Amino acid sequence: MAAKPGSAPVTYSPNLGQKTRPPIFKDNDLDWVRPDGRGFHQCRPAFFRTGAVNSASGSAYAELGSTKVIVSVFGPRESKKAMMYSDTGRLNCNFSYTTFATPVRGQGSDHKEFSSMLHKALEGAIMLETFPKTTVDVFALVLESGGSDLPVVISCASLALADAGIMMYDLVAAVSVSCLGKNLVIDPVLEEESYQDGSLMLTCMPSRNEVTQLTFTGEWSTPDINEAMQLCLDACSKLGKVMRTCLKEAASASQE
Amino acid sequence: MVGLSVGEKHFIQGGIAQDLRSDGRKRLTYRPIYVETGVIPQAHGSARVRLGATDVIASVKAELGKPSALQPDKGNIAIYVDCSPTAAPMFEGRGGEELSTELSVALQRCLLGGKSGAGAGIDPTSLVVVEGKVCWDLYIDGLVISSDGNLLDALAAAIKAALSNTGIPKVNVAADATSDEQPEVNISDEEFLQFDTSGIPVIVTLTKVGRHYIVDATSEEESQMSSAVSISVNRKGHICGLTKRGGVGLDPSIILDMISVAKHVSEQLINKLDSEIAAAEASEEES
Repeated sequence: MAAKPGSAPVTYSPNLGQKTRPPIFKDNDLDWVRPDGRGFHQCRPAFFRTGAVNSASGSAYAELGSTKVIVSVFGPRESKKAMMYSDTGRLNCNFSYTTFATPVRGQGSDHKEFSSMLHKALEGAIMLETFPKTTVDVFALVLESGGSDLPVVISCASLALADAGIMMYDLVAAVSVSCLGKNLVIDPVLEEESYQDGSLMLTCMPSRNEVTQLTFTGEWSTPDINEAMQLCLDACSKLGKVMRTCLKEAASASQE
Repeated sequence: MVGLSVGEKHFIQGGIAQDLRSDGRKRLTYRPIYVETGVIPQAHGSARVRLGATDVIASVKAELGKPSALQPDKGNIAIYVDCSPTAAPMFEGRGGEELSTELSVALQRCLLGGKSGAGAGIDPTSLVVVEGKVCWDLYIDGLVISSDGNLLDALAAAIKAALSNTGIPKVNVAADATSDEQPEVNISDEEFLQFDTSGIPVIVTLTKVGRHYIVDATSEEESQMSSAVSISVNRKGHICGLTKRGGVGLDPSIILDMISVAKHVSEQLINKLDSEIAAAEASEEES
């Protein structure tokens, strides 16, 4: 681009739209449709693929709408010499965003607590006593953040652990629900998450009907809590079936 | 904390099953709470809460800053907890970082509400001075001095007491500011604005040991827990935040039962805490 003589070169920065937007719905607007046309109680179609990273013991790639994550599992490996002897295995989780994952570069580093939340969600499902003295490392990377990042990463991580052959009690499926005014929407996208009045993230083992992690944000009344938890449990059991199908396909493909 | 022998573990679990804990409390009884306000004179508000041997301090400092471009009518609130090595030697350096982050995130979740600001215990719109240009940045810092279990409940109580003790200085804005420049602000030394803390929720942590839940666990009882759920309840009986801690899975019906128990316990706790805070403020004014 030709710059005017004597002026500083103009750099191009994309216009992200208005910074302040009116709320995407009005309180009494019952005809409001979600940005991607889904129903309020409809999750995004899930795409899972194991074996994404060749050099890892196990890995998985998940894509739900515009949220894309990749998780790789290394281990069981020898624990660092500095760590004490332990007769159960150790789980080490690391969650990070790429710098290009969010619309504004580098915004993903706000979520330092996601590593420990991932750890807590997975440790209830893994049989740690089957690999004493060793550590299993789970590294999660969000390639594109499209909303509902942590639940997608948890589901993808449990697939990666299964792909690595780590013994588990059950797969872990995770789903989040947003409260927007009086409506409960499941599996929110980034735009819906930024306007939410409250959110619930539930992680469960579908076959055992056990909740491994649960977090509520915002103000909830008891009937809303019941409804939201029921929605999440249903969605988790369906997601569990999708994950199982993916593992079966991968196993039968490798046998051919 | 020294490790527990098998006999001690059985004693704790058996006592909880029979509704008689090691210090004589029932399962749903809190330890006596002592609140002192105004312990840090340089901060805009502060409080110290003692719950048995657990001792925490919360301080509130306010500075003038700029509101974020996405929400120009709201001030900024940051909550951060630091675990001091005086509580346990393993907190030295980076050792206490994981616990600090977990406590900070749980408190932010309970007190700041959803992303749109709805359901927040502290109303961020009350912190704005000039919309879009000048607002108060509220820094709430918690310090754990001594830890004997139930840190989250003590910190939430300390933050509630510190906020009721907080006086934000009144700001006079120069009336002839144009829309482009930063307006001139004059911070008054005399007049202060008090926060309305009746909307701030309390946190009730229910620890599951065996088949029963206890409230306000000591660190010995926490070492025997299978899982714990921290529920934040406000005066209206609505849940303002919930965090499940501990790795063991829980049946969903148990979680719903815990929520109703927490609501029941929180009524007494809110009343007790309010009366303690009022007594502390009164004694501070006398001295």
